[in-house]
Amino acid sequence: MNDYKKLGFKSGIEIHQQLDGKKLFCNCPVEIKKGNHDFEIVRRLKASAGESGKRDKAAEYEQAKNKSFKYLGYNGLNCLVETDEEPPHPVNEKALESAVIVSKLLNCKIVDQVEFMRKVVIDGSNVSGFQRTAVIGMNGFVEINGKKFGIETVCLEEEAAQTVKRTASEDTYNLSRLGIPLIEIATAPDMTNPEEVKEVASHIGMVLRSLNNCKRGIGSTRQDVNVSIKGGVRVEIKGFQDLKSIPKVIDKEIKRQLTVRKAEEKIPHVRKAETDFSSSYLRPMPGSARMYPETDVRPIIPNLSVKLPKLLSSKTEGLEKKYGISSDLSKELIKKGIDFEKHADNYGNVKPQLIAEFFITIPKELRRKHDIKFEATKNLTVLKKLNEGELTVAALPEVTETLARGKKVDYSKYKQLDDKKLKIELQKIVDANKGAPTNAIMGLAMREFKGKADGKKVMQILQEMLK
Amino acid sequence: MIKANIITKDDKYEGIIVKEDSDFLTLKLSSGYNINISKKNIKEIKKGSKIIESKNIAKEKHAEYMILHTGGTIASRVDYSTGSVIAQFSPDEILSNNPELKEIGDFGSVLVSNIMSEAITFKHYNKIAKAIKKEIDNKCKGIIITHGTDTLHYTSAAISFMLENLPIPIVFVGSQRSSDRGSSDASMNLICAARFLKENIAGVFVCMHENSEDNNCIIIDGTHARKNHTSRRDAFKAVNNSPSARVDFKSGRVELLKKSNEVVGELKVHLFKDIKVGIIKTRPNMFAEEFNFYKNFDGLIIEGTGIGNAPVMSFDKESEESDKIFETIKKLKIPIALTSQTINGRINMDVYSVSRKLKDIGLMGNQLDMTTETAYIKLAWLLSNHPNKVKELYSSNLRGEITNRSEQKEYE
Repeated sequence: MNDYKKLGFKSGIEIHQQLDGKKLFCNCPVEIKKGNHDFEIVRRLKASAGESGKRDKAAEYEQAKNKSFKYLGYNGLNCLVETDEEPPHPVNEKALESAVIVSKLLNCKIVDQVEFMRKVVIDGSNVSGFQRTAVIGMNGFVEINGKKFGIETVCLEEEAAQTVKRTASEDTYNLSRLGIPLIEIATAPDMTNPEEVKEVASHIGMVLRSLNNCKRGIGSTRQDVNVSIKGGVRVEIKGFQDLKSIPKVIDKEIKRQLTVRKAEEKIPHVRKAETDFSSSYLRPMPGSARMYPETDVRPIIPNLSVKLPKLLSSKTEGLEKKYGISSDLSKELIKKGIDFEKHADNYGNVKPQLIAEFFITIPKELRRKHDIKFEATKNLTVLKKLNEGELTVAALPEVTETLARGKKVDYSKYKQLDDKKLKIELQKIVDANKGAPTNAIMGLAMREFKGKADGKKVMQILQEMLK
Repeated sequence: MIKANIITKDDKYEGIIVKEDSDFLTLKLSSGYNINISKKNIKEIKKGSKIIESKNIAKEKHAEYMILHTGGTIASRVDYSTGSVIAQFSPDEILSNNPELKEIGDFGSVLVSNIMSEAITFKHYNKIAKAIKKEIDNKCKGIIITHGTDTLHYTSAAISFMLENLPIPIVFVGSQRSSDRGSSDASMNLICAARFLKENIAGVFVCMHENSEDNNCIIIDGTHARKNHTSRRDAFKAVNNSPSARVDFKSGRVELLKKSNEVVGELKVHLFKDIKVGIIKTRPNMFAEEFNFYKNFDGLIIEGTGIGNAPVMSFDKESEESDKIFETIKKLKIPIALTSQTINGRINMDVYSVSRKLKDIGLMGNQLDMTTETAYIKLAWLLSNHPNKVKELYSSNLRGEITNRSEQKEYE
């Protein structure tokens, strides 16, 4: 076990979260597409768009002189703003509002007027040669288990184009991702051990997911962790598989830094987290950013009277208390963005626990048993039928499996037998199996009724019959 | 600019004060970000040391190839300490920003004016023409003129007329993406123009991107260029014409697409005088009084519709005003020429009776394919220099601005 204090361990996190809806500076939809592009544009970027230091300029110039960038674009997803043929449109107000909300949830002070900057990027991932970025909130904090961790900035910026291929002479980028709104949260280097890093990352992630326009899916959230120990260099680790791996990767990195010879490693650098919790060298840490005002976008006074959403953490507690469903199920429901309260209201005759299972447990089972996908939110008819008593719980496995396989369900097949009919059928079975134990008759009966009768009811009538 | 510590009622900030207006103070933080602080919230400002700002000092240098700046910065640089974009007019700055120029030739530069092109006037044209003459007298072999894109094609037409027997190439260059950014088209346009200068083809041209990619620039005849898009790199197209050349940026190869004519005679400069020429665009629901306004002008271009039509003939009660318009035009005792809003295509005033009517009262333009912009410049120039021969010279091809053949490939 490491003594992090003795090691002089310091760590900070940077989280990037994509937002759904429209892009940050145009009306293109947020959608990442891969393959089968509609058009290609080949460009060059001028590396030294003017700066002092003749040697730097020469080097950059040489580097950029022969390199070209190929951009793959999609009709309907990329407009002239993404091909750098039109100036940016006014900033996406919903995205700005989300950044203000996050800043407030992280106890930041919001800037009086938002000014977008151009952050110079010459690797081709931004068609214009810069990324548009603005600071929205500053000097906030999160409090976890009574300890405060500083949030230095909350920024709103554009996502870059996605690398498709790199060669010595040309890099290819996919434009569909370019321009997607990103909320960037940078913490102060206040974490004093890897567990704290994981907790802070987890908490900030939960805050972000409390937004209704937080994009989901692989790659929509990225965490970069900065780590340093006394006598070592500052290292940034990117590409974590999940939050759980963070402490393991950090510990391995500390071990690596302790064993590597100090003389060999002097330059702060960026590393990539690997699946075995080690990390590999990527590139030197970039110098301080070169930024200047984005004069094509007018400064904006942010609207501070925004409605703050309920934090997921409190929503989870709410569900557990109100509906008596388990903490795990509550968390999953919130994570999946399911409006549980609405469904509980609409299907009041169905037990909340069952509704929760319908959205979470049943799809999991179907995936596990049959490797098929059941989209609960698209099959609310099932809940409706349950609610109206036209379907029994026992029928659920078969009905959901049928739907998951893309087949139509004949609900009349599952219509509950009325008591009169039930008694008649049950009588037939009893008569045909005189002397058999009750449980055996139950088994035969349930097989016969195939979900058209509720098990409890059948048992009840049977027991009365056999009296 | 000064370093400062700002204390507000909520927080304190340290940075450089880069600008200030009535409501906000802009502070550049060490991270590079600017934050705008509402002056109402400021409790105290502690000022520190001054930051020496980079200045724009335009130095002159004369060489065998010249870059004349009129505005629309083709070379600018960012001072990251303050975030300001600084125009670069000095030869050494332009050359260090575009090292390829040194490989092409010995370039010098001069600042002629620094104006946004939408505000340019005939007086500026005269200034530019005089500057060009000065360089040619100094044995200059070719000139690049940097210019704002909005009216670049007006100026290229003006210079074409002003310089009779021009012995060297003059290439107008602009940029649609400001030159402080990595994606700017400025450098490539400049370098391709320089490559074309080396071909030694006399005349006035425009050099801009051929398409949205950074592969080729096209060289367009100065009297046939037009800006056809508000923002795209390839906004400039040849109208009723095809490009004179294509320059491959990567290889530097110039592909000549037209035969060039030999220049005979001595260079003569014909400046613009204080002439007032108007352009009026016809449209549905016009009024005679609009035309009446031009009675005190020296000339008028009517940008009509289609092949050469204007609302000068009524067809029913509702279009009665057209007859009044015709009478008003008839009364204007000034040279008037007809062009078309379609931009592309040749004017033919013999096809429709309405345009025959206009031809009969002396309107010029029949069988000509000049753009409205070039026609306007030509008329004003003729009125300045050949006031007694306007009608004869307007329809004569003086600088390649009129062609008597329309090729299929010119409109694609």
